[in-house]
Amino acid sequence: MGRYVIRRLLQFIPTVLGAIFLLHYLTSLSIQLTGNPVRALFGDRRPSEAQMSAMADSLGLGDECLTRVGDPCIGLYFERLNNIFLHFDLGTNFTRRPVTDIIADGLSYTVKVVVIAIVFEVVVGVAAGVLAGLRSGGFFDYLVKISTVLVISVPVFVLGFVIRDLFLVKVGNWFRDSGDWPDWFAFGVLSPVYKPDYPWASLIIPGLVLGAVSLAATARLTRTSILENIRADYVRTARAKGLPEKRVIGVHTLRNSLIPVVTYVGVDFGTLMGGAIITEGIFGVPGIGREIFRAVTQHQPSVVLGIVTVLVLVFLVVNLLVDILYAVLDPRIRYD
Amino acid sequence: MRLAAAVAALGMLTAACGGSDSDDDNGDSAAATGGDLRIYSSEPAFLVPTAADDEPSIFVVRQMYRGLVKYNQDGEPEMDIAESIESDDNKTWTVTLKDGYTFTNGEPVDADSFLRAWNYAGNVNNAQNNSYFMNRIAGFDEMQKEGAKKDATFSGLKKVDDSSFTIELSSPFSGFVSVLGYSGFFPVAQECLDDWDACNKAPIGNGPYKIDGEWENNVQIKLTRNEDYAGEDKGKPDNLIYRIFDDVDTAYAAFEGGELDVMYTVPPNKLAEVEQNYGDTLLKEPSSSFTYLGLPTYDKRFQDKKLRQALSMAIDRESIINAIFDGALSPASGFVAPNFDGAREGICEFCEYDPDAAKALYDESEGITGPVELWANGGAGHEEWLQAIGDGWKSALGIDYKLKVDVNDFGAYLKIADDKKFTGPYRLGWGPDYPVMETYLAPLYTTGASSNNSGYANPTFDDLLKQGDGADSLQDAIPFYQQAEDLLAEDMPVIPMWWGLTTVVWSDNVTEMVHNPITDVDYGQLSMSS
Repeated sequence: MGRYVIRRLLQFIPTVLGAIFLLHYLTSLSIQLTGNPVRALFGDRRPSEAQMSAMADSLGLGDECLTRVGDPCIGLYFERLNNIFLHFDLGTNFTRRPVTDIIADGLSYTVKVVVIAIVFEVVVGVAAGVLAGLRSGGFFDYLVKISTVLVISVPVFVLGFVIRDLFLVKVGNWFRDSGDWPDWFAFGVLSPVYKPDYPWASLIIPGLVLGAVSLAATARLTRTSILENIRADYVRTARAKGLPEKRVIGVHTLRNSLIPVVTYVGVDFGTLMGGAIITEGIFGVPGIGREIFRAVTQHQPSVVLGIVTVLVLVFLVVNLLVDILYAVLDPRIRYD
Repeated sequence: MRLAAAVAALGMLTAACGGSDSDDDNGDSAAATGGDLRIYSSEPAFLVPTAADDEPSIFVVRQMYRGLVKYNQDGEPEMDIAESIESDDNKTWTVTLKDGYTFTNGEPVDADSFLRAWNYAGNVNNAQNNSYFMNRIAGFDEMQKEGAKKDATFSGLKKVDDSSFTIELSSPFSGFVSVLGYSGFFPVAQECLDDWDACNKAPIGNGPYKIDGEWENNVQIKLTRNEDYAGEDKGKPDNLIYRIFDDVDTAYAAFEGGELDVMYTVPPNKLAEVEQNYGDTLLKEPSSSFTYLGLPTYDKRFQDKKLRQALSMAIDRESIINAIFDGALSPASGFVAPNFDGAREGICEFCEYDPDAAKALYDESEGITGPVELWANGGAGHEEWLQAIGDGWKSALGIDYKLKVDVNDFGAYLKIADDKKFTGPYRLGWGPDYPVMETYLAPLYTTGASSNNSGYANPTFDDLLKQGDGADSLQDAIPFYQQAEDLLAEDMPVIPMWWGLTTVVWSDNVTEMVHNPITDVDYGQLSMSS
């Protein structure tokens, strides 16, 4: 296992370098084609050459190669690698805020939202899936099937706006006005936007909205997987051995049924990080999704590069954990 | 101070979290929060005056810093930290400061605090966004040259003693005192320049409010009343809390949910709804942001002024505003914002919609062979109104048009303007730098000026502005500026479109709104109640 993990960790290096190069090349090319984004900082006032170059230099966009279309800017690439890995310096955004600060701040909110989403998705999704799977054809099964289709077919942003404008504002105001409810609920959980006074409570609803679609998928996946495994030979063997039903379901069936679910949740982690762009916007959460959206629209290469590099790393680590989990769930899988 | 005590007492009763449309407030949560004014803001760019040049930044900076002059309710400059600012020739100005002002770190607000800020801002090596505003001070060109020394200072700034200094301009300017009220001219502490980044995060100001903790990027900025502030306009609310939102619609949901007390700028698409729900606590007035359709006079086809006049006359501004912008703009009938001293209603006769007269003028002109290319930066919602203009031209003048909206990046679009590569009328905007009507004229239309994108060059115009700048006083200067504006109304190098609309809505917690014609809402002076 240890050697496997080390081998996997070593594979991170080319992946990360490749990702950085790709982003570096694309952002450089976009500057070469559309002109230096620093120009926009001066607005309607035309800057002199000296002003432009002083501003560009101070923001790390003064390299000559950025004016030559098609130049891969290899020098700038190594300079960036040198700064990132040897000095842990990811540069700054256009308002001179270090990208490391932006990531540290933003990620702390996004991780909170994503964790709430995943917990919600796994706990409720798996439970619903198991219950539906065990009582296939029953009322609960139909309930799960219908409600999941409903949730999957509604885009996240529609769900988000409806919940914010109708539920959190209108219904929320009723709760707030009545005065019978504790503050953390009426002013925290039901706040239409992220609120620094209630750093966890006001993120619950955004997290639930973010996790809703994945929850539906998780429930359906679990249900199908349970249905398949419940008829497998080893389950029949377990029953024949006279094991109690709890153990047959909980250890034998569920454990094996979770493999596709774990795969899905691992991949979904990336989707959730991406989906956070929408939920963070709707609920005013100052997370990383918003930052990267802004960085892309304003052409801020160091921010895009920095955030995506960190996201790639997060994604790699999560998928490594998923692979390790396989071995835990299914004893037939061995990595050494 | 009796007033402060009264405000504090009121603060005790304020339910900071009460629903905005309810009358009965929740008494339990009130005692804990006090007189907090919760303000909608988008993320500021900088909190150091030498760099802060955008609206959200300036709204915060103005509460934390004070400058030589402030603007009264008529938009005229009044002495603030300056005791006097005098000049015999409008070229060399002597500034004398009042005593007793300090920064929050204890440093005195003296002559050095102003000079160091302006020298820092003006030096090209520091790449400060407000460097441009120093351009009238003698020595600006040397400071902005490539290879200027890191410690280069303005030849035009000289300290006399701790409480006075002189400013020499490169050419006389009668409106200079008004310019000094801009936040880019506010003083800066030495400690601030020693560690710029730290000062940007936790500013060292000299105003009625000071920062509480640090700027929490993208989340909030908390200011608390500076009890040591020696000036007159002491803050009223205990705390100003700027809650930062990326998206104005999200902020409006927060306002409706009782999370905000003041919202500067209502989402335009919600304006009708806001008027209905909060009509009594809504302020609506024309703003000074100018949108125009520039004409590339460097292009041969646009050199006939009759054609330019005809194009302008064939635009139905009123209908476009109502149909596309829900009436949330006010049509322009001149080149200077209506709230500015010296502005005149309707001086642009060709801004009046009259398709028949437009056609007659067009027939007299050399005409233009279509399709005329209409330029705007793409993806910013300009397509619709440009199309309406094009359709108007088509029906009134019979000329074909084509939209050129494929440049999405604003920087790239501005580059086209810089390089004078527009092949047809182009959309651009302008906001004033200081409350003198000259700010709408010189930068945009003087020959070779930094924002003269139309290529307009008229020696008489340049000369009139120079005469205005050199007049004895601002009041004497206005007639010259007005004559210059008359020339524009005749030559039409750009087609004035409309002025923006300032909208402010506030909750029941605010009992008195204080709005300045130049600096907009003065958050520190709002009165609050329960």
